[in-house]
Amino acid sequence: MEPPQAQTFLAAIPGQFMEVRLSDLSLPRGTEIPEDLRDAARRQIILRRPFSPCDIRKTTKGARLGILYQIRGPGTLRMSTLVAGDPLSLIGPLGNGFDVPADLRRALLVTGGMGAPPIEYLAEYLRTRRPDVDVRAFAGARGLEELPYEVRFDNEKGAILDEFRRLNVESCIATDDGSVGFHGFVTQCLHQWLERHRPGDGRCIVYACGPERMLSATAAVAQTWGLECQVSMERMMACGIGLCQSCVVPVRGEGGTAVNKLCCKDGPVFDSKDVIFE
Amino acid sequence: MSDAIDLSVDFAGLRLANPVCTASGTCGYADELADYLDLDRLGAFVTKSITVEPRAGNATPRIVETDAGMLNAIGLANIGLERFLREKVPLLEGMRPAVFVNVAGRRIEEYVTVAERLAGCPAIAGLELNVSCPNVKQGGITFGTDPEQIAKVTAAVKAVAGGKRLMVKLTPSVTDITACARAAVDAGADALSLVNTFPAMVIDVASRRPVLANVTGGLSGPAIRPIAVHLMHRVWREVAGPQGIPLMGMGGIRTASDALEFILAGATAVAVGTATLIDPDTAERIITGLAAYCRRTGTTRLADLIGGVQ
Repeated sequence: MEPPQAQTFLAAIPGQFMEVRLSDLSLPRGTEIPEDLRDAARRQIILRRPFSPCDIRKTTKGARLGILYQIRGPGTLRMSTLVAGDPLSLIGPLGNGFDVPADLRRALLVTGGMGAPPIEYLAEYLRTRRPDVDVRAFAGARGLEELPYEVRFDNEKGAILDEFRRLNVESCIATDDGSVGFHGFVTQCLHQWLERHRPGDGRCIVYACGPERMLSATAAVAQTWGLECQVSMERMMACGIGLCQSCVVPVRGEGGTAVNKLCCKDGPVFDSKDVIFE
Repeated sequence: MSDAIDLSVDFAGLRLANPVCTASGTCGYADELADYLDLDRLGAFVTKSITVEPRAGNATPRIVETDAGMLNAIGLANIGLERFLREKVPLLEGMRPAVFVNVAGRRIEEYVTVAERLAGCPAIAGLELNVSCPNVKQGGITFGTDPEQIAKVTAAVKAVAGGKRLMVKLTPSVTDITACARAAVDAGADALSLVNTFPAMVIDVASRRPVLANVTGGLSGPAIRPIAVHLMHRVWREVAGPQGIPLMGMGGIRTASDALEFILAGATAVAVGTATLIDPDTAERIITGLAAYCRRTGTTRLADLIGGVQ
């Protein structure tokens, strides 16, 4: 990415996202399409797809953005044929992003499934810009296969995530099937860690991104420990810029009545105390 | 060369700089789109629906993509008449294009209440009567499929609309769209817009449930364009053309060629909807493309192409 767009993205906050046009990319060759995506490959897509970058860094020419994705449908199938140097149409950065207050002392990062990218970028962002903050990551998935990270085995600490090790951030893994790390939900893992280590002195915030049930469980753990919690919500959205009104998140308004906020413009990051989870 | 080409059209007595407009529900109340599109280049701006009371809209998922289109079931979520007058109308005041406000309701009295208040706003050039929303339980499409109801609501709103142009938005899901068009025109509509979305449904085969929380939604996008062009042509030929009523065409318009199909079929103006959600500057690209088409074909006045299909 070259200036002036590069400057715009270098100023992006972790948790912000962009709308990527994939409709004009080609599909992989028929034989390279996994069996379960053969039907999806026939779909004519038109809408952009929202992605949160997992990494944004300065280069000699401008900026480089990392998008972490899993091939799941007609959009990401097309994405898999991109090669270095291909043009890609992006609208962004969009949304609010995570709030990192000046007096933050400890950040507990929680991710589930494909909620990983903005959390990874948040870890990097905190490490490079806020070395005073203690950062620890908790990553959950159904099993080892679904974990969108590289797992590494450390003699002392057991299974850890290489992406966070490189940033010098301690990490814990939780899998539903116990295939690696803690056997159980990532939220149980977080709770257990808090029991053992306590949140410590100073302002501690839980930052979470993942499936809604995981976010709601994370919010409950945070509440148990009296911690602030910011959740990055996900909704099906057509435009990402507040036009279509499709991505509403119900939040508690004045007097406790539910008010719809837009995931794309008011979010995607919300204070977990405000969100009325499904 | 381009200044020799006249893109302007006369739309029910309003001079539009060009025929390209926004389609209601895909462009907010204008401020949302201003960062991405030079609104002053538009022919006209059509706002999201306004109802008397604020509406929260339907549960999510409210949209789902399908082949060459999408379904939406927003449920007329809007800030309500009072907030619209207070917060949004002042923003519309400085706009160069004509502003049409889309009006919706459950009962005729609700349409009338909204129209009466909007009639007093100098910033507003016209009203678009939404009698064709497929996603609400009361009102909407239940008005729009019955010519008698269309006539009643049109006449009632016309009586309070003052000098505002009244445009009635038709649903495509009727046996004979010309009967609905005729009912609206006979009851005093100054213009018609067509078509609204098609009632549709998508099922997730993994969960065996409808994808949309509302079960059904309105289909829009390129998938519906040829059907919309056909309906435009029928309404033009059988009702609007003979009576001199201008039409605003919409349904899957993404390019200047798409817009020209509607114009040749009888549309005086065209509205861009779903394409704006994907590329918010689509309307500007279409305006540029229309001028290029005119240059290429030696057309000095775009308006000469209206209904020009041979």
